Amino acid sequence: MGVVLRTDALTKRFGGLLAVDGLDIEVREGEVFGFLGPNGAGKTTTLRLLCALIAPTSGTAEIAGLRLGRDDERIRAAVGILTEHPGLYERLSAADNLRFFASLYGLDGPTAEAQVERFLKLMGLWERRGEAVATFSRGMKQKMAIVRAVLHEPRILFLDEPTTGLDPDAARTIRELIVSLAREGRTVFLCTHNLDEADRLCDRIAFFRRRVIRIDAPDRLRAELYGRTVEVRVVPSPLPEHLDRVRAVVGVSEAWLENGSILVRTDNPLRTDPALVRALVDAGADVAFVSERRASLEDVYLRIVHDEEG
Amino acid sequence: MCGREWREALSNKLLVGMTLFPPIVILATGVFAVAAAALYPPSEKDLRAIYAAAPAVAGLDPTEAVQGIIAQYFLVLFMLIPTVVPLTIAIYSVIGEKSARTLEPLLAAPVGVGELLLAKSIASTIPAVLVTWLAYLVYLGSVMVVGSPAAVHAVTAPRWVLAVIVMVPLLTALSVNLGILISTRVNDVRVAQQIGGLVVVPIVALGIVQVTGRVVLDDSSFVQTGVMLIAIDIVVFFAAKVAFRRENILVRWR
Repeated sequence: MGVVLRTDALTKRFGGLLAVDGLDIEVREGEVFGFLGPNGAGKTTTLRLLCALIAPTSGTAEIAGLRLGRDDERIRAAVGILTEHPGLYERLSAADNLRFFASLYGLDGPTAEAQVERFLKLMGLWERRGEAVATFSRGMKQKMAIVRAVLHEPRILFLDEPTTGLDPDAARTIRELIVSLAREGRTVFLCTHNLDEADRLCDRIAFFRRRVIRIDAPDRLRAELYGRTVEVRVVPSPLPEHLDRVRAVVGVSEAWLENGSILVRTDNPLRTDPALVRALVDAGADVAFVSERRASLEDVYLRIVHDEEG
Repeated sequence: MCGREWREALSNKLLVGMTLFPPIVILATGVFAVAAAALYPPSEKDLRAIYAAAPAVAGLDPTEAVQGIIAQYFLVLFMLIPTVVPLTIAIYSVIGEKSARTLEPLLAAPVGVGELLLAKSIASTIPAVLVTWLAYLVYLGSVMVVGSPAAVHAVTAPRWVLAVIVMVPLLTALSVNLGILISTRVNDVRVAQQIGGLVVVPIVALGIVQVTGRVVLDDSSFVQTGVMLIAIDIVVFFAAKVAFRRENILVRWR
């Protein structure tokens, strides 16, 4: 897969405030790329830079083969953005809102009508296409805003907190849309605070606080920072000699007791798990279950951000 | 974009009301003044003062003279219509988008900021000019019904025609660009209207000094005013263009 977005020392200052400091990232075509950071980290500023809404102070970027600063209007035509606020015209109907934006993106009449129908049906809003957007719920407005962003079939889609404030049903619909867009080969750049969502959707995640701290796939980060942890539940409860036997198993780097279970750190659970069970059974333990425990992305995020704070 | 602006404006009953109310009041005042002159002719003393202030009506029947002078002087107050009407539309056009947060998605589209500014200017200017021209026709028709030939003659005089055809669009454009400029700095419609309302002060002042006879506005005064308006329009337009930059809108407009 080719690189569809590349930045080189992209920087943005607002007077004395350094909002984005030397951003260096590459995003591949068809990737769902997560952009995580605390409030005020500069995520929205980064989004605006990459969508050619504001000019960088220094550095360069190439988006969909177009050069930032030279091809800004073409960049805006090639990307779609879901902004922080839906920003819909409340007095216009859903269909009229979308037709207006379709015309701005150069879609002719029949194409615009077909796209409006396709995406409104996908989002379950077709029956309400003639109603003023002011009558829509927050979730419906957010769906409308996403439809507006994808109407012109952009190569890259920038989403700023797409599921914030939505009920679980609406959030799921949007996540499913993101997945299907990625399957179609579209690149999704996802700014989110929702770590569970980032974990589920993103191929890679950039941890960001004015500059990129780490970029990697969620599972690789978990493995690197927390290793792979196996939980062995022994009933009624594990004894000290059980722990000694587990520590002696090849492939176990660490073992400890926690809440009635033995927790084991290992690089290769597939090889270690059978040996663990044999060792415990030989020691007279009754093993209830063995399962792998995943560190949460929240643990990873906090570890990375705190390490960066020093 | 103009179509979308108009649809939004027309669906806002408050805005429509605020746009139509001032011209109705101003028109009604003008028509009433002309009609009242027929019911309450001036005294001899007043008549002498009128003939001295407006030689064009000297020798006319007293009622005709008064109606003629009212119709003539009303032109300055009539110019309040193209000043007030577009100011309201332009302010709502910008502040409305600010508060609804519709500007960012709009700016994210492949549309130039100049194009956006022009669309807002045109969308505010055209209805205001049309409303003013319609108001002129209504006033003319009313004067034909309730006024004398002298009044009709005054309302169809070259200065009225020049003012309606040339100065109305110039004043409208000035008002629109001022409204846009003010709205880039202010977030409350009422505050913006109060600041923008200052633009009517020179017009009202001109009307007052004209009525008191301190200033006589002849045809050349109107031509000079027109030229001055063109220059002011150009300056205000460029100031609005500077304020209406993409990064300014996204980062500084709050």
